[in-house]
Amino acid sequence: MKLLIDGVGKQYSGKLWGLRGLRLELGPGVVGLLGPNGAGKSTLMRILATVTRASEGRVLWNDSDIAQSPDTLRAVLGYLPQDFGVYPHLTASEFLEYMAAVKGLDPNSARQRIDELLAVVNLAEARDRALGGFSGGMKQRVGIAQALLNDPQMLIVDEPTAGLDPEERARFRNLLSELSGERIVIFSTHIVSDIEAIATDIAILGGGRLLAHAPPEDLLRAVEGKVWEWVIPSAEMPVAKQEFLISASARRSDGVHIRIVATERPGFGAVLAVPTLEDAYLHCISSQRTSAIA
Amino acid sequence: MSNTANRARILYHLVRADFLERVRRYSFLLTLGISIYLGYASVTGRLAMRFNDSRGIFNSAWIGGQMALISATFLSLAGFYVVKNTIERDRLTRVGEILASTPMSKTLYVMGKAISNFVVLAAMVGILAIAGIIMQFWHAEDPHVDLWKLLAPFLLIALPAMAVVASIAVLFETIPGLRGGFGNVVYFFIWSLALALPISTAEKSGGYSFDWSGLSVIWDSLRNAANVPRDHSSFSLSIESASQTHSGVTFLWNGVQWTAGVVLARLFWFLVAIAFAFLAALLFDRFDPAKGGLRRAAPARMPIPADQPENGPLVKPTYATVSLTPIRTRQEHFRFGAILLAELRLLLKGQKWWWYAVAVGLIAGCAAAPDASARGMLLACAWFWPILIWSKMGVREIRDQTSQLIFSAPHPLARQLPAVWLAAVLLALITGSGFGGRLLFAGDWRGLLAWLIGALFIPALALTLGVWSGSSKLFEIIYTLLWYIGPMHATLQLDFMGSAPETPHTLIPAFYFVLAAAMIAVAFLGRKRQLQT
Repeated sequence: MKLLIDGVGKQYSGKLWGLRGLRLELGPGVVGLLGPNGAGKSTLMRILATVTRASEGRVLWNDSDIAQSPDTLRAVLGYLPQDFGVYPHLTASEFLEYMAAVKGLDPNSARQRIDELLAVVNLAEARDRALGGFSGGMKQRVGIAQALLNDPQMLIVDEPTAGLDPEERARFRNLLSELSGERIVIFSTHIVSDIEAIATDIAILGGGRLLAHAPPEDLLRAVEGKVWEWVIPSAEMPVAKQEFLISASARRSDGVHIRIVATERPGFGAVLAVPTLEDAYLHCISSQRTSAIA
Repeated sequence: MSNTANRARILYHLVRADFLERVRRYSFLLTLGISIYLGYASVTGRLAMRFNDSRGIFNSAWIGGQMALISATFLSLAGFYVVKNTIERDRLTRVGEILASTPMSKTLYVMGKAISNFVVLAAMVGILAIAGIIMQFWHAEDPHVDLWKLLAPFLLIALPAMAVVASIAVLFETIPGLRGGFGNVVYFFIWSLALALPISTAEKSGGYSFDWSGLSVIWDSLRNAANVPRDHSSFSLSIESASQTHSGVTFLWNGVQWTAGVVLARLFWFLVAIAFAFLAALLFDRFDPAKGGLRRAAPARMPIPADQPENGPLVKPTYATVSLTPIRTRQEHFRFGAILLAELRLLLKGQKWWWYAVAVGLIAGCAAAPDASARGMLLACAWFWPILIWSKMGVREIRDQTSQLIFSAPHPLARQLPAVWLAAVLLALITGSGFGGRLLFAGDWRGLLAWLIGALFIPALALTLGVWSGSSKLFEIIYTLLWYIGPMHATLQLDFMGSAPETPHTLIPAFYFVLAAAMIAVAFLGRKRQLQT
């Protein structure tokens, strides 16, 4: 099971490139796709999901070009788009039955799978209610269920935790972690905490280009000795914000506790801290911006 | 800033933003296209006004009168469908929810939308006015351009009619039942009735009533000029060949005498338009989803687990190990029946019991009616009844934002699209089964073939127009027109259903079969294009 993204780019009207020269090779596991808004994450997801075509480069699924034969991938693909709708007059189970038929599942497997998935996404009680009355979070869970209907070998989820409450977010992370064994899971988000526990690989996009692709440990290693914790008076905060890359801050009785990503000690009293993935991500994005300005 | 000035400012920006949003969309090209076509048809003489089978010399008065009537009649139909989406757009883009949270009143909002509609329609009328000037030079029968005589009919006949249409469009959008496809169909009948009403009342009582289109102003003026009594005059606005236009008798008409009474009668329709807009403001739901057309259940509240009392101490959530049965065998042979049934189910979902009751009644009526013509009329009704179901074909994926889910499933072109079409054909066969059954039992194979072609043609038309326009509206308008002129008025060339007894014995069914096949191919191309974007 292998997915090769080979020099992929997507050009929109007005000669604007949403994605450019992207190369990635993915195997089984959870790939966390990180990047700021407009980084090209959703564009890449749509290309991988065969919803849109790349303007340059190719995507090979088990050596088969998905632009030439998209159905090879579609048969084993589960896709949860960032923005999607449902048919408001159908109930949750009817919608999943419809999607199962569209995906070519045999009715018996589909029925069993739907029952299990509705339980997994905590919608068993609401299965016979029209989707038009569902809240945003419930619709999102229906979307998650439809993506898993065909037991996909490749699962693409674009901002899947948007609209979910903290408990449902944790449930979803748990689900993804358990499902990730023998399949490729591509999980796009800009919330680092959503993927730090489950991702086996992290790919960071910025400005339509790949900035980094490595296991989380390697990314963390890159910022070791560069993350500082420092307590400063609140009055100095505006200056600190201008001078340093601050990854977190909290007001306490003794001043503002800030977390800084910097190659050198930012000031007297600053102590080295254990880096997190959030620090590594900010460091990577900030380096790209600095080099772009230079 | 005073309250009045503030309201005027809000109104201005509302109209401006709405107008700019419209003209920057590709669909505005269609709007311009309709006007330019009507202008072209008039200039080249294909669309002509006639009085007692003769026409006036192409001077400013005649051209102004003709163009204004074209606006008031044709544009009042096409223009309604063009502008009836202004509140819907705010609803779909969710800008409406933001607007609803501002201090802007419902009246101000609805007035702004009605004015914006009017501005768009007035722009369409403006194109026809320019075409009118070109037309006078083109035909060169009277080289002297009298601007007042040319433009007065636009100002006093066309624009009041457009104001009424603009407000009715907003009114339809504020009434949940008329907001969608049903409203599109209803307007067609209201429009045809409203055009015919002043003429029929004039024939009966001698006086005009409800003459919103201004037809009587022109007709009366022509009659007075020709000194002909009303019951000896005929008046038409028709599509004809260029040679017809230049043939026949011509006469000189110097235009309408714009007396105070005539002008006030026309300006009265602006007041009617304002009244409609006020009514719309009263009915407007201010984007409150609880008052929407779709009966939404209250957002679900997930049940609280038995071991976690609602106001009791928090219990740490536990996550059971996920147990999903793996799908071991992926199907070699696709079950087309499953997707066909799923599509048929989706097509019929949401229909109320009375919809099925009427459909069954029409089937029974077709099967039981002894007279062939009556049977044909009942078939026309049976195949008009599902119009709002068919009109969703090819559009649903975009409208309900499921396209990314459907298009990323295997073989969306080779499996899902044919299933959509065939499900709709099945619906046509079922709803028309009373008629088809009679033909089958009578052994009328030619008739049966024509009926079958009708069942293939209607879904093909719906699918093609849906895929390419991305909206239900185009099918609803075109199908209603075809149905009304064809099967309902026994125009043989447009009898795509094979409902008239003589149709099966002509080449008309063969024509619609070829057309259906071509449209299916075009629908496939359209969907392929959507898949490849």
